[in-house]
Amino acid sequence: MGDIRPEDLEKRQDGRNIDSRLGELSGEGAQQRVRDIDEANPTRGVLRTRPSRSGVLAESPSYYGQPALKEPVWIWSIPLYFYVGGVAGAASVLGAATDVAGGKHLEGMGRKCRWVGTVGDMVSAGLLIYDLGRPERFLNMMRVFRPTSPMSVGSWVLAGSGAMNTASLLFAGRRGWLGRAGEGAALGAGLFGFPLAGYTAVLIANTAVPVWQATRKTLPLLFMSSAMASAGSLLELLPHSRGEEKILRLFSTLGKVCELLAGVAVQHEASRLEVLERPLKHGPTGRMWKAAKACTAASLVLGVWPGRRRWMKVAGALLGSTGALLTRFAVFRAGKASASDPQATFQPQREGMGAAEVTGNTHASDGRPFEFPLPVLRESPEPPRRQTSSARFEELEPEPPSAPES
Amino acid sequence: MGQKGFFTDTTLCIGCKACEVACKQWNQLPDDGFRLTGMSYDNTGHLGASTWRHVAFVERPVPLPTQTVGLMDFSWLMSSDVCKHCQRAGCLEACPTGAIIRTEFDTVYVQPDVCNGCGYCVAACPFGVIDRREDDGRAWKCTLCYDRLGEDMTPACAKACPTASIQFGDVDELRERAYRRVAQLHEKGWEQAYLYGADAESQPGTGGLNAFFLLVDKPEVYNLPPDPVVPTMKGKEAWASMGWGALGMAVVALGAVLFGREVTHG
Repeated sequence: MGDIRPEDLEKRQDGRNIDSRLGELSGEGAQQRVRDIDEANPTRGVLRTRPSRSGVLAESPSYYGQPALKEPVWIWSIPLYFYVGGVAGAASVLGAATDVAGGKHLEGMGRKCRWVGTVGDMVSAGLLIYDLGRPERFLNMMRVFRPTSPMSVGSWVLAGSGAMNTASLLFAGRRGWLGRAGEGAALGAGLFGFPLAGYTAVLIANTAVPVWQATRKTLPLLFMSSAMASAGSLLELLPHSRGEEKILRLFSTLGKVCELLAGVAVQHEASRLEVLERPLKHGPTGRMWKAAKACTAASLVLGVWPGRRRWMKVAGALLGSTGALLTRFAVFRAGKASASDPQATFQPQREGMGAAEVTGNTHASDGRPFEFPLPVLRESPEPPRRQTSSARFEELEPEPPSAPES
Repeated sequence: MGQKGFFTDTTLCIGCKACEVACKQWNQLPDDGFRLTGMSYDNTGHLGASTWRHVAFVERPVPLPTQTVGLMDFSWLMSSDVCKHCQRAGCLEACPTGAIIRTEFDTVYVQPDVCNGCGYCVAACPFGVIDRREDDGRAWKCTLCYDRLGEDMTPACAKACPTASIQFGDVDELRERAYRRVAQLHEKGWEQAYLYGADAESQPGTGGLNAFFLLVDKPEVYNLPPDPVVPTMKGKEAWASMGWGALGMAVVALGAVLFGREVTHG
């Protein structure tokens, strides 16, 4: 605050239009650092509606087709983290399961899983910090614990998982209480692995983004089964023994089956309204979503093929990883497209899929009962028009909704 | 102290944008370009990191009830949009750093020195208000002039509004005033007038807004959601689903290990 001297204002040219003889940058917004003045009116895409065709009279109007919500500002590192974090979580779970039920000869596998978990946790933290607007303040995530915020819960889960995985690698197998602590940490890492694999889905479902919010019941299942498939695939690519291979093959095959089923369930949950499902069906994102399923299905076929050769194993594992990655990116991009489509925001809420789903209100905020399409607001009866020879207002058909896919 | 808020009566708005200018000037917000959008007279577009008041201009081929029809059926709707300072604020409940707080005036405020720019509030706001400034890396929105309230001053936009379209005060008092105004409009034949988000009854998804509006057409026309909900209300279902997923994961992991182990022994 106030760290800018008036004489610097001349040089700054950051569009605040402050008289440098009077001005002191101490206003609330003066803390905004401006490298480049904003591009004028940074609206998404080119405006396609003429004001006279703004669709005010349409069954479901919008404000010149402008987005009602802000698109999530996250970049590629976030869906990548969804994948990496999922791998780390599911691998930790499998590691703990081998410790619990595997016996002596599978100790190496548990350790391997925890290596994957540890490296995954580190990479995850890096990806998350890279996306932050102020990476130097990433530790503020540890300032509070806020149960209402899946991101806060998830930050603590990731921290806990990293700590447990690392501790188990350092101490497990030692003598005395340290060794016991290491074994406990291995179990703890397994317990943290469940939320680590699933909370990311809760995080995106817990937003205003229509398609994510609408698929909140199935998205966690998709992300968790996808995490199992991807962790299994990755571990299959790492060196392993025959006994381990059986386990990994079963683990990743079951994961892929669940992933395909959950994908269908997500699609089904989104299909309650065409406008919600749109980004998952059309355009590049729709193709990505289909490709993800195709990769997973192909990987599943290669996984259960009898008498597998080595190339089939490798190809199956690679396809499984690709399918899981594409799934995350498709869901992420669908959310972005959904947020910039005003109809995806408005129509479900008019259909009673807004607050009505949880609070049971029967009327929208404008006091109208939920029924769609709504009667258009009009003066009735229409006043007689004066006959004039001047230009008449042309009532054009509202424009057909354009598929919001950049 | 008490609950402070805005009552924005859009029937009185003349679209002068004094609120936009006053807000920019008081808060010393940077410029965001001077191009024309082509959307009526709205050249601001939407609320954002450096736009905390935004006047929407709606052109309708519909006359207003009290209007004498001239050459054609036509009317303007103007509405000064702002952060709603919800009772159940999506941004506040999503903020993982505690940067977003509820102040002593019952408003929602982002502490810029705490925010680390995770961007979760941007996705969590059901109104699309808060935004992250990219070259600054932090989230920004209207503060309801927190700095002015502390000095017992009126927020800049309400101070600058020439028509009392933006009214500032205690929320309870504003509500009474708003109900009276709606009754008055109904008497005059403006049957469409209603309050948007004035209380928890009419907008249970947000628990009522501290900055509520008087509108005369569907909320969508002003780019407001018809039945907004704070995402947290639905989050429980996602957590429950994750619980089931965890159960399935445990079964699959243990089953795979037990199966694999049997094969090794056999």
